[in-house]
Amino acid sequence: MIENTVMLLITVPILFSLLFVALPKSLYKYLAWAFFIIGAALSVNLVLDGTGVVPIGEPSFAMLENVVLILEVLVILYILAVSAKYKNWPTLGLGIISAALFAYTYTSVPKVESASFNIDQLSQVMILIVNIIGTAIILFATGYMDQYEEHRHLNRQKTFYFTMSFFLAAMNGLVMVDTLGWLFLFWEITTLCSFVLISYNQDEEGINNGFRALALNLLGGIAFSGAIILLGTNFDISTLSGIQTSSSATLLALPVALLCIGGFAKSAQMPFQSWLLGAMVAPTPVSALLHSSTMVNAGVYLIVKLVPAYAGTSLGTAIAVYGSFTFVMCSALALSQRNAKRVLAYSTIANLGLIIASAGIGTPLAVAAAIMLILFHAISKALLFLCTGEIEHTIGSRDIEDMSGLIKKAPLLTTLAALGMVSMLLPPFGVLLTKWVSMEAASSNPIVIVFLILGSALTTVYYAKWLGTILSSSMDKNAVHHKKPETYFPLSFLGLSIVVTSIFVFTIYDYFIRPQVEILIKTAPAITGQAGQFTSEIGAFAYAAIFVVLALAVLIYFATKNMFTPRKANYYMCGENNLEKDGLMFRNGICSYDKSSVSNIYLQNTFGESKLTMLGYVISLILIGIALAGGVL
Amino acid sequence: MNMNDVLTVVLVLIGAPILGCLASGIDRRITARLQGRVGPPILQPYYDVKKLLSKDNMIVNASQNFYVVVYLFFIILSLLMLVFKADILMIIFVYTVASLALIVGGMSTGSPYARVGSSREIMAILAYEPILILYALAIYLLTGTFKLSVLVNASTPLLVYTPLIFIAMLVVLNIKLKKSPFDYSTSHHAHQELVKGMTTEYSGPGFAGIEIAHFYEYVFLTGLIFLFWAVNPLIGVLISIAAYLLVIVIDNITARVYWQWMLKLSWSVLLIISIINIAFLYVSKATIMV
Repeated sequence: MIENTVMLLITVPILFSLLFVALPKSLYKYLAWAFFIIGAALSVNLVLDGTGVVPIGEPSFAMLENVVLILEVLVILYILAVSAKYKNWPTLGLGIISAALFAYTYTSVPKVESASFNIDQLSQVMILIVNIIGTAIILFATGYMDQYEEHRHLNRQKTFYFTMSFFLAAMNGLVMVDTLGWLFLFWEITTLCSFVLISYNQDEEGINNGFRALALNLLGGIAFSGAIILLGTNFDISTLSGIQTSSSATLLALPVALLCIGGFAKSAQMPFQSWLLGAMVAPTPVSALLHSSTMVNAGVYLIVKLVPAYAGTSLGTAIAVYGSFTFVMCSALALSQRNAKRVLAYSTIANLGLIIASAGIGTPLAVAAAIMLILFHAISKALLFLCTGEIEHTIGSRDIEDMSGLIKKAPLLTTLAALGMVSMLLPPFGVLLTKWVSMEAASSNPIVIVFLILGSALTTVYYAKWLGTILSSSMDKNAVHHKKPETYFPLSFLGLSIVVTSIFVFTIYDYFIRPQVEILIKTAPAITGQAGQFTSEIGAFAYAAIFVVLALAVLIYFATKNMFTPRKANYYMCGENNLEKDGLMFRNGICSYDKSSVSNIYLQNTFGESKLTMLGYVISLILIGIALAGGVL
Repeated sequence: MNMNDVLTVVLVLIGAPILGCLASGIDRRITARLQGRVGPPILQPYYDVKKLLSKDNMIVNASQNFYVVVYLFFIILSLLMLVFKADILMIIFVYTVASLALIVGGMSTGSPYARVGSSREIMAILAYEPILILYALAIYLLTGTFKLSVLVNASTPLLVYTPLIFIAMLVVLNIKLKKSPFDYSTSHHAHQELVKGMTTEYSGPGFAGIEIAHFYEYVFLTGLIFLFWAVNPLIGVLISIAAYLLVIVIDNITARVYWQWMLKLSWSVLLIISIINIAFLYVSKATIMV
């Protein structure tokens, strides 16, 4: 049963990627619907199958091991070839180092006799994220890519869908497999897929940013393979669960720190953040996929899986400080950005930092927060990215200032985007609940909690600006807006998911998170309570009450709406309105008319990239150095 | 929920706006006296609201009053949670919903004046929110829990260990009540060059809703000050009243500053003294529980 589902989860996306290549463009829409339905069904099926270990014994092991070997060689050869072709020497150098490490691993590290997949609750959550949100993003892409390519005179959709689907296959493998060697293959495939997708436009900027992503992730991959070599030769450990159950946790600190650095690179934490910022040159579905359901999640997934190896140690503390530092730094950077995609990118990095900080704190409460945040962040961020893409198609800009008046031009789209933003920063939605849990958990560490507090305030500010802007009405004429089902279904579905998961957060906690935390650190979080209320030993979060009040507010608003019959007026301009025209203009000093315009405050001089990025690099490198030093000493 | 809880809810729903209305009336009276005027009757805020409710519902945007309802409801919810001694961190987050609703409500009208006011109020979040959460953290460090229910049984008043945070909270009170020198997003006084800031486009019933929410907010904010001496309710109330009067006096003796100045004050002085206070609590491992 579970064996079949595991195999299907890897083979079905590969099958779909081949179908996308084989079938004509006109069928993509149906293919994407089928992919979405099958992906959702398979992932739900995996959850129903329960948890367990799926060993791969002889004879299929020998065959699969050879497949893995060939694929790894192919991946490395492709990287070497492509970086040589574009004369990107740093990437070529990193590729050669990777190849050397691979050859060393192959010849000198003890071979494994069997491989296994290990399905625990975290894997289930990740599979749900990858296969439901990921396929929803592909579905959205079928309504998006035609217009995108038309603008840019591209015709590469076969490559696009092939890589997107293959990406999901690799992610599925990554979150289920237990054997480190195989995990590393999936890890490198996601790196490669993201390179192909980021350089999708094939222009100079795209290719440069693609190579940056490739180089930085190869760097993370080198740390990863270093850890595999150390673990294999010194400790005879070749599986993730082997690290988790190892008794010599303190000895393992160096390889674990190396694995975490691999995770930091993949999750685009400082100082690796530039690859994820560069990734936004790609089409929006790619950003959505990288930011929410795949790629960056692989990094935090690995870090959460490693919790048993560093919980309560100085390495754990170093990771917590590092994560919370990224959280506050990237939240500050997001504040200064006008480009919506850049704001979202920094927000992603910041939230992943929060996940890493929670994992680093390592108490049951904090680890629970980390896993929940992976889930809630993925849903909200996928929605926000897809909305940004659709907004860009509607108004032709991704500048936040151009989005004022959006509520009049595309009400449904704006409502969904607003829901996404609200869910990122306000109760009763899941992200805030996990932020609350992680804050309460972090209160034992003064540095981490102060960073979290500052970052949290900054987060509120940059989302509030954007939220207010899209909801602001304008007197402009309404734009014509076309609604396609394959665009609006994924958006509405994600919006609904946010509400549903937030309502059933305790059920989700009970079913997935608590057992997983028990597996990871042997103690369940001291969270009690029932549906509607979270109670830990140090606090209580009555989210049901907030839902009720929110519903009540909506009800009362609609009930009393007609009690006070509204009369429309133009807005106030100190009596200087140009009433004879359209009410948008005001009379200026020389008695001609100007259009009024107001913009948000971005504090470029304080939080601008030119001010903070260098500081971020220096401090994050010092923190990583401390983490490594803690591992060696 | 037992009978007592229901009674408390009803009492808060009815009592808080009366208290807030009186506080607002006293504010106007004191302000008038400080400026050498006689001032309106104490109940003037009530007359204002009554009149506003009978006015036409003039709007510029169909959904602008929705944000007022959310603002009002979440202020009430945060006040109720405070009265029921819930999780202080949670209360602050719920209160943020209310603050954001008012800001978004202002922006939603699209009016340039309202949008300038809202932008400034967003910057105010940056100034006061970290201090509010540090305040919650101080309560946790001293009591071992974020739940306020234990605070009434504490052996020592909170203020004894948190004098620096108390000072920061006074400034927060000043910012949140939108009193001079921090009244740049909207103001109760006529000297605003920004017309009425965030609330420019609100009139009639919508504006009445905002005023009523303000009444609740007065009680909520002074309630946060009350917690500093919750062990003895009488002293707690006296401190709250003193803090409120202080804010009114400051309102009348200072001129409005740039919002940049407030951010600098907050992130250089207030945050630093609050963090020093927190650091002291970590190092001394002080507790106010028996």
